[in-house]
Amino acid sequence: MSRLGRITSETRAATRAFLRRRTAVFFTFLFPLLIVLIFGALVQTQPTGGGLFTEPPAYYVPGYLAVVVLFTPLSRVGSEVARHRDDRRFEKLATTPLSRTEWLLSQTLVNVAIIGVAAVLVLAVMVAVTGATIAPSPWLVPFLAIGVALFCGIGALLGSFTDSQDGVIAASNTLALPLLFLSETFVPPELLPEWFRPLIELSPLTYFSRGVRAVVTDPGAGVEGTVVAVWPAGPDPAINLAILSVLAIVTFGLGALTLPRTD
Amino acid sequence: MTAIAIEDVRRTYGDTVALDAVSLSVDPGEIFGLVGPNGAGKTTLARAITGTTDYEGTVALFGEQPRAIDRSRLGSLPQSFSPHERLTARELLEYYAGLYDDALTPGHVLDDVGLIDSADTYYENLSGGQQRRVCVGSALVNDPDLLVLDEPTTGIDPAGRRQLWDLLEGLAADGTTIFLTTHDMHEAERLADRVGLLADGELVAVDTPRALIDTHGGESRLTIETASPLAEGDATGLDYRTAIVDNDLRVFDVAPTEIGTVVDSLTDAGVQVESLSWTEPTLEDVYLELTGTAVGRGGQRLDDGAASAAEEPNAPTPPTEGSS
Repeated sequence: MSRLGRITSETRAATRAFLRRRTAVFFTFLFPLLIVLIFGALVQTQPTGGGLFTEPPAYYVPGYLAVVVLFTPLSRVGSEVARHRDDRRFEKLATTPLSRTEWLLSQTLVNVAIIGVAAVLVLAVMVAVTGATIAPSPWLVPFLAIGVALFCGIGALLGSFTDSQDGVIAASNTLALPLLFLSETFVPPELLPEWFRPLIELSPLTYFSRGVRAVVTDPGAGVEGTVVAVWPAGPDPAINLAILSVLAIVTFGLGALTLPRTD
Repeated sequence: MTAIAIEDVRRTYGDTVALDAVSLSVDPGEIFGLVGPNGAGKTTLARAITGTTDYEGTVALFGEQPRAIDRSRLGSLPQSFSPHERLTARELLEYYAGLYDDALTPGHVLDDVGLIDSADTYYENLSGGQQRRVCVGSALVNDPDLLVLDEPTTGIDPAGRRQLWDLLEGLAADGTTIFLTTHDMHEAERLADRVGLLADGELVAVDTPRALIDTHGGESRLTIETASPLAEGDATGLDYRTAIVDNDLRVFDVAPTEIGTVVDSLTDAGVQVESLSWTEPTLEDVYLELTGTAVGRGGQRLDDGAASAAEEPNAPTPPTEGSS
């Protein structure tokens, strides 16, 4: 009961604190929608042409979802850690029964809720704008939740190892931008140099992309010669979810461990 | 069992020694005031007690290490602590209360710290003193056995300060041990059962305020402002030790009942007395005597000249609730 009570109290306070920062809420939702509008409506996909956006619209579902799954936890949790440190909140919390793991879990729950709502919006706008055919799947829920937990852990690491909120934002952008484009999200591996492709396997976002694509894309939806090979012919979502889960446990654990509790 | 036992605690930050061989103990139900200017090491010692800094030596709270103690027994208020700014005072206390299995009713705590009328105001919209009172409330909400308060009354107006002093005295009377840091000598003298004087990381004296003053505070002072400046020797007819300080005549160790006699003697000698004030020695005098350093009202160290300025009645005061 007491652990649940602590997590509930922390989650409630964090949710209120976030929802009352209106500009933060507004831009949290605006940013991914802008990406969808820019890429989906302005650039558009060209399945028969060459270049970057040559896959069917549904191919880019993981990319659009990754915008919120990746950017929001990194910047939000990182900034929250920096803010807590600057305002001596961790020093205070260190003298309460709330553990670092419970604190990070609470932040993760808040992010899962926010990103869940943002993801629904992104998918709805994407379908409306691009006409993508998406197979709704309950698998999306664990992929989103575990993906968020993974990047909340990395956000906590960034917040702990940078010395200011500005530093967190700079570090999270520097980390997130390459990951966003080099994790089988927007750029198919075939467009990358062969020597670079093994590095894709190092990105945790790759497993999110493969898994999400496998569960939301109809089999055979790709056009001739493209890489859209989805489960059961392509990647197994369960394997990708398992890899994502292991990585999430590692980053979450390290993130919780490095949260500052002393001066 | 001793509430706080500190033995030979040392803390360094690079080449800077923040605490050096500090040892002291605090009994259950005691209010212990740690006094010193900014940078003396007060916050570092408070952190050592709450287990939020690393240190050499030993600290035990009710016989246990700070990080091992049941945290429901401990309430803390860090210096410069600032909680979520867009939660109301009530929501903040509900939040901290929710971290404990058993906690006081947040509304009662708000009442105790004098904030019940501002309970539904966002923290960021409260005055500085009100904000500090919310923070004090967050340390009280779990009804702890030991309270560690790092400069709890900073920015709080005199009336609010007295209210908090009464509250803390009531808690101590009910058995709560209170360890507080302050640079306000008057606060320490008024509130603490015992006081520790910290200077450059070293604990130079520990005792009751009265004992410290009696032992180290020196004599009472009668300060006399005269119509025209006096020269050394103008008051030699008095049976007391005298000195001329800033054109005023200081007469030492005068009992209040003897003030009239002193004034009559000066008048008979042709000295025109404009005004006078009589002061007993205080902890400020004790600190100055033992460390050679005076402490300004904002907690800053004062050199000799600044120390004289600090004695002026019109010296600037730190911001309080009314000015924030």
